[in-house]
Amino acid sequence: MAELVTLTIDGQEVSVPRGTTILEAAKKIGKQVPHYCYHPGMSSPAMCRLCLVEVEGAPKSMPSCVTAVMEDQIVHTESKQAVGNRAGVLEFYLVNHPLDCPICDMSGECDLQDYVHAEGRAHGRSEEPKRVFGRDDFGGDVLFYGDRCVMCTRCVRFMNEVEQDERLTVVERGNRSVIDTFFEEGLEGTHWHGNIVDICPVGALVSKEFLYKARAWDLEHTPSICPSCSQGCNIELHTRDNLIQRIKPRENLEVNGWWMCDYGRHNHEWMNRGIRLEDPSVRTLDGAAGPMKWRDALEQLLQHVGVMGEGRVKAVATPFASNEDLGTLAELVGALGGGDMVYRSVRVEEEVVLKGFPTLARRKDLAPNTNGAELIGFTRVGDDQAAGGLEDIAKYDGIVIIMGDELSDQAEDFGREAGLFVYLGDQQSPAASNAHFVFPLTTFAEQEGSFTNIARRVQRFSPALEPSGMARPAWLILGALAAELNNGDAPRSAADAFSGLARRVEAFAGLTYQDIGIRGAVVNETYVLSES
Amino acid sequence: MAISVKVMNRPDPEDTSYLRAALSGMALTFRHLVNPSKVTQQYPEEPTDLSPRWRGTHRMEVHADGRPKCVACGLCPTVCPANCIRLVGGEDDQGNRYPIVYEIDEFRCIFCGMCQEVCPVEAIHVGQHFENAEYTRSRFVYDLDRLMEQDHPTTLLWDPSDPSSE
Repeated sequence: MAELVTLTIDGQEVSVPRGTTILEAAKKIGKQVPHYCYHPGMSSPAMCRLCLVEVEGAPKSMPSCVTAVMEDQIVHTESKQAVGNRAGVLEFYLVNHPLDCPICDMSGECDLQDYVHAEGRAHGRSEEPKRVFGRDDFGGDVLFYGDRCVMCTRCVRFMNEVEQDERLTVVERGNRSVIDTFFEEGLEGTHWHGNIVDICPVGALVSKEFLYKARAWDLEHTPSICPSCSQGCNIELHTRDNLIQRIKPRENLEVNGWWMCDYGRHNHEWMNRGIRLEDPSVRTLDGAAGPMKWRDALEQLLQHVGVMGEGRVKAVATPFASNEDLGTLAELVGALGGGDMVYRSVRVEEEVVLKGFPTLARRKDLAPNTNGAELIGFTRVGDDQAAGGLEDIAKYDGIVIIMGDELSDQAEDFGREAGLFVYLGDQQSPAASNAHFVFPLTTFAEQEGSFTNIARRVQRFSPALEPSGMARPAWLILGALAAELNNGDAPRSAADAFSGLARRVEAFAGLTYQDIGIRGAVVNETYVLSES
Repeated sequence: MAISVKVMNRPDPEDTSYLRAALSGMALTFRHLVNPSKVTQQYPEEPTDLSPRWRGTHRMEVHADGRPKCVACGLCPTVCPANCIRLVGGEDDQGNRYPIVYEIDEFRCIFCGMCQEVCPVEAIHVGQHFENAEYTRSRFVYDLDRLMEQDHPTTLLWDPSDPSSE
């Protein structure tokens, strides 16, 4: 434990480790000192001059983002000097700002807008014409509106210090200074540049994909986990009209810091896909499938299961399913006497490491829960394209359960010889045509659950969208079936399903939803990150 | 309890006769018949006068080149207390923000005029117009083209010479 320093900020005493900045110390007691250039994940150039605070004894205002705390220091962030300084700085920011909030994508979550509304002048006094840059395409997903820029250089520092691929710089000086790319080389080809849109405190850098799509105040934010690779970045799903509009990273220093990769950020179209399974259906003797009520369909399934005999099950799951879903599937397979449980997942050649935050990378494994599947007892089959590996299951004559895997590479007669073929999924799939029972599932964005990431950290996600039709989470369906076969209790919530999993699987023992919380918790095994 | 009876006197015929009242009423009618000052508005033959602050169905202002002035900022659907405005923003061929879809459900609208008040570019207005009869209900959802076609005068929600009413 570092040595503690006690100081007074706005009349409130606070003790922080030596070396902490005044700004961070103020955060600790809930005081937000306005700032632009400071970002906890990068160096502080102290150039925005907005975080200046009054320090008693100092000859002039001090930039709180770089000034370390001192013993018995007395700091005022709301004094006349500090507030007057901020009002003056903000007035300068607005000298050349176009005030085009109505058409700016940042409007509603813009720091300049917030600070000026809170502490700025009602009217500007500048009579000079504003300088105009217009808009510039930075390549990749980023558009640059130079007029809105406040020259905090967070984007330049992100590319230099965090991504460590120098693509942006400041050109010109003073009033005419502006962020620019080197010649014609833009951000194209970099893998983390979406983050500069997040850290831009104003609307100077905006996402092309999200451009004009929704207003910030219309979006609902749901904490979730990125399903695009096994890193398990903490994210927020921003939704409107029951559609995911964009994905933003959520701070978690243990996993992804403040960042996420562009691949995960833009890989959300599939979550809004429209063609969905909506009703449970059961194939009758003449081959026609018809929609059914959940209760009737599950009761019919239980009758068929009864005559199949013990231990003749083969299950294929997708590593996009949550721990709860995989756990209840394993429980059901166990209740049916045990059998093979496999999964298939896509793997790519290379990891894409974020050099300035090396524990964060776009991992080789492009599924969020392969580790969860492994811990629960599923084995990986097939190649790196998630194809093949199901030869013995395709012709198997026992019980075949497919959960989530769309079997897009499989022949049309997949499972035709199966004694009982149960398909659970969210998408219409050709493979489902031979299934005796088809059950619609919710996607991860529509249900509560948890993923186990590459470091075996269990992290929870929350439902952001309304489920489509009669779709239900897999743990609810499979849990009800398993409970019926075992004469046990069916899980009533995802937390219930997880505690069931914790009872059955050693690695999850002792963990509860409460322990996992919003930051996640590591399972009961030591694990070296470089292993895979 | 004993029943008590109150004896009322028969009223004076002078007070109960309708004759005098009828005659005075007819005299008033007759006076109006010959009175030269007109009060009755001859609607619909003659149009009615509306107050400049009358708030009726909407109108979208257009630029000289025919584009709507709306920049799809989303403030009117946000402020609308009746939630009757549907707006989908997008980018036009010149890179400007514009409304791909802009619809106002005039049946749901309560004509408060807040959309006009909040509009930063003075695009959407409530208008001095109330003759909106249609044959179908769906015609009361005004789309962008319909709103741009309207040519009735717009409402003055405040005095232009004194916008903040000071």
